[in-house]
Amino acid sequence: MKALALSLVAVALVAGCGSASSPAATAQAVDNGVPFDQALHDKLPPSVRNTGTLRFVTDASYPPMEQFAPDGRTIVGFEPDLADALGRVLGVKIQMVTGPFQTALDRVADGTYDGVLSAVTDTEEREKKTDFVDYFSAGTSIIVQRGNPSAIAELTNLCGHVVAAEQGTVQADLLHRSQSGCGDRPMQINQYKTNADALLQLRTGRAAAVLNDYPAASYLAEDSRTSNYYQLASGAQYEPGLFGIPVAKGNTQLRDALKGALDKVIASGQYADLLTRWGVSDGAVKNATVNGALTD
Amino acid sequence: MRRRRSARRETRSGSRLFATYAVASLLPVGALGLLLLSGTRDDATKQGQDQGKAQAAVIAEMAIAPALDDADLTRGVTAGQRDSLAKATDLALYHGSVLRMRLRNFNGQVIFSDDGSTSGGVPVGDPAFQSASNGTATATLVKDPEAPGGQIIRVLQPIFARASGEAIGVLELYLPYDKIAARLHEQMTVTYRRLGIGLGLLYLAMGLISWSTTRSLRRYAARQEHEALHDGLTGLPNREAFRQRASAAVTDRRDGAGGAVVVVDLNRFKEVNDTLGHHAGDELLRVITARLRTALRTEDTAARLGGDEFALILPGLDPPDVRALLERVRAELTREMVLDGVPLTIEASFGVALYPAHGEDVEQLLRHADAAMYQGKRGAADIVVYAGERMAHPTQWLVVQAELRHALERDELVLYYQPKIRLADGAVCGVEALVRWQHPERGLLPPSEFLPAAEQSGLIEPLTTWVLRRALADQREWTAAGRDWTVSVNVSARNLESAEFGPLVVGLIEEFGVAPGRLTMEITETAAIVDVEIARQALRALSALGVGLSIDDFGTGYTSLARLRGVPLTELKIDRTFVDGVLADPENQAIVRSVVTLAHGLGCRVTAEGVETAEVAAWIAESGCDEAQGYLYSRPVPWADVPMMEEVR
Repeated sequence: MKALALSLVAVALVAGCGSASSPAATAQAVDNGVPFDQALHDKLPPSVRNTGTLRFVTDASYPPMEQFAPDGRTIVGFEPDLADALGRVLGVKIQMVTGPFQTALDRVADGTYDGVLSAVTDTEEREKKTDFVDYFSAGTSIIVQRGNPSAIAELTNLCGHVVAAEQGTVQADLLHRSQSGCGDRPMQINQYKTNADALLQLRTGRAAAVLNDYPAASYLAEDSRTSNYYQLASGAQYEPGLFGIPVAKGNTQLRDALKGALDKVIASGQYADLLTRWGVSDGAVKNATVNGALTD
Repeated sequence: MRRRRSARRETRSGSRLFATYAVASLLPVGALGLLLLSGTRDDATKQGQDQGKAQAAVIAEMAIAPALDDADLTRGVTAGQRDSLAKATDLALYHGSVLRMRLRNFNGQVIFSDDGSTSGGVPVGDPAFQSASNGTATATLVKDPEAPGGQIIRVLQPIFARASGEAIGVLELYLPYDKIAARLHEQMTVTYRRLGIGLGLLYLAMGLISWSTTRSLRRYAARQEHEALHDGLTGLPNREAFRQRASAAVTDRRDGAGGAVVVVDLNRFKEVNDTLGHHAGDELLRVITARLRTALRTEDTAARLGGDEFALILPGLDPPDVRALLERVRAELTREMVLDGVPLTIEASFGVALYPAHGEDVEQLLRHADAAMYQGKRGAADIVVYAGERMAHPTQWLVVQAELRHALERDELVLYYQPKIRLADGAVCGVEALVRWQHPERGLLPPSEFLPAAEQSGLIEPLTTWVLRRALADQREWTAAGRDWTVSVNVSARNLESAEFGPLVVGLIEEFGVAPGRLTMEITETAAIVDVEIARQALRALSALGVGLSIDDFGTGYTSLARLRGVPLTELKIDRTFVDGVLADPENQAIVRSVVTLAHGLGCRVTAEGVETAEVAAWIAESGCDEAQGYLYSRPVPWADVPMMEEVR
């Protein structure tokens, strides 16, 4: 456990160093990262090129995608590392800012943030609000208490139970859509501001299950700090879809630049490296897509 | 007493070794103790701080974070959150579980405090605050004169407000330390006591180990020393130990009191060994040892020098007391004992050398005691005190004496004769009879090989008698052959001391029918002046009869000339040492001339001994000597080979 914590700190330090250094000047010089791409940089909106900064909002309660380091302030995980890699290619600094998940798309749409990097599943519904640059593939899993006291094996077993989910997630949508199948034994669907709050309900027995994306769910079930309390109800992944970076509609320059950068990262192999590092290789995509929501 | 003292010395050196060990092992134990103590003290301090941190963590997690719910401290707290905070902390503050509290954002602003103030607190630049900002709590003991014990704990604790683990600010808490300190003190006391007892036991164990080790070593060394210095059979000190103790006794003489070194020899030991076997011999030695121990005082030492030879050191005794003590010892030793069913009585000879009177060197004392002991064996006395140089003799004389006895019986002795030349005409005027021993193994032995041994024993008497008879018998033969030589026979002082000697010579003269004037008794200077009345009488009687008296080796003894006056001498023989170098040495010339004058004055003839060259012979003749003897003329030879006057020339 301690070793893991140390490695997390180490990663945090590496990420910190990367984002702190002057991107254009040092990106090419440093390690095995993807080289800075001037053409992509030039595609960025002038405002971004001027500030040299992109601000992505995230809810850092979704390991291994993103979480707080032990200091309670640094955000670490697959997605911060990916953001760093993208920033290097684009020659800008990508800041990860914590914020509520539920309103994240709106904040992007209204220009508060440049994007969201918080395991946002790309759906047709959401594409109405923002464009998506998709980088990952995963479905939804059911998390239950270790030992599975409520004997839940699939979605239909959730009927009559309290189920917790994070506000505004596809999992919350899925639960609501599943409610129809429960008949006179409806689920009590409780939604919380962060995924951690939802998990707290499950940990303390106030909820029978939590729905998470598969990578986050399996991390909980396997990480030594949490595996005593949680397990997967089954290996099934419901409604698999793509994770994407929401970008304001109309900001095609940023969208395309991000897509280009993502392709570069994927092509360079660093993408695969980061997936391996965080144990989420199952969700690899072959190339970046824009608005790749699967039609229902 | 000596043994006891040396035992005490061993114990003392042993306990010194032990003390060294004890001190040496005290050092590591002490160092270990100090190390553990300082470690314990450090641990206690750290424990106190950790306890403070643990308390703060619980307070932050259970009271502060829930009250803050969703707060963004950079913007301050809402009235509701402030209320919740107050509610959550009121009781703890009121009861003093928490002394002071400040809630601060990362910029250092005080968002909430126990007393409503927004100032004060740890500076933002303080490492403790920085550390808390970076997620690590720190606890520090700070002085507070108002607090009981004068110390409180200040903890800076990051606040992880949400389940996600996000930190939102820093909680500055002041917690009472006196109770923690009291409990730590209590723990420390217990630890100190355990440590003390443990180290004490460790030291004790090391002490016991070193004590037992030094004791084993000491015993081993003592045993080694004992074996090196003691006789295995009897347990008595051996010759080496005897030497050490004797020299210590001689050196350590207190009050100037002397003592005695005594050699004891068992008279019939060999007999016992030969007839009853070695086992009985050993048993006999053990019995003798026990008896010696019984008879001696505690301060005396008995030692076994080897075989049946024992030695005693009797310190602090006057000669009469020595004799009295030895009488008791002898009485004890000669008590009848039964060995293998055979009752027997052992006799012992005691040779006594007194120190410092007879020397202060142990070897010398032993030699003297030995000499006295052999003297005792020869005579009837069992306890003999050393009485001067005459007693000295080498031990192998015993062998010589035994063999000589046989030699006399087997007629292994022969007489050789060396001619005396009358310088006036060069004619042989007499011969000196010199005894030779035709030894069956060692060949023809000169008198120096056996005469001293004979002189020390009664053997000299039969020997002299034999020489006299043979000489007189030979003289009768050469007289018959037409030679009118006188014959000189060497006579020992011991012969003269014997009352029978005078009559013996008279008897022999009569028996062989020789003229007394043709027999000369050669005696040494020392023998000539003995104070024994018997000797004087013998000399006078022989002289009156007409027997010649010659002083042999004149000039080498310590004769007072006054003593010579009473002796009826007929001849002085100048020792060869003066004659040999007379040509080169004016002093020798002076001596020879003086002796010639002296002798002629006393009415004696003068004979020069050891004449080896014609030159010396010429000088001697010129100086006034009457006769000469030496290799120039002839070596000692059987009488028939003595050269005639013409041949000599």
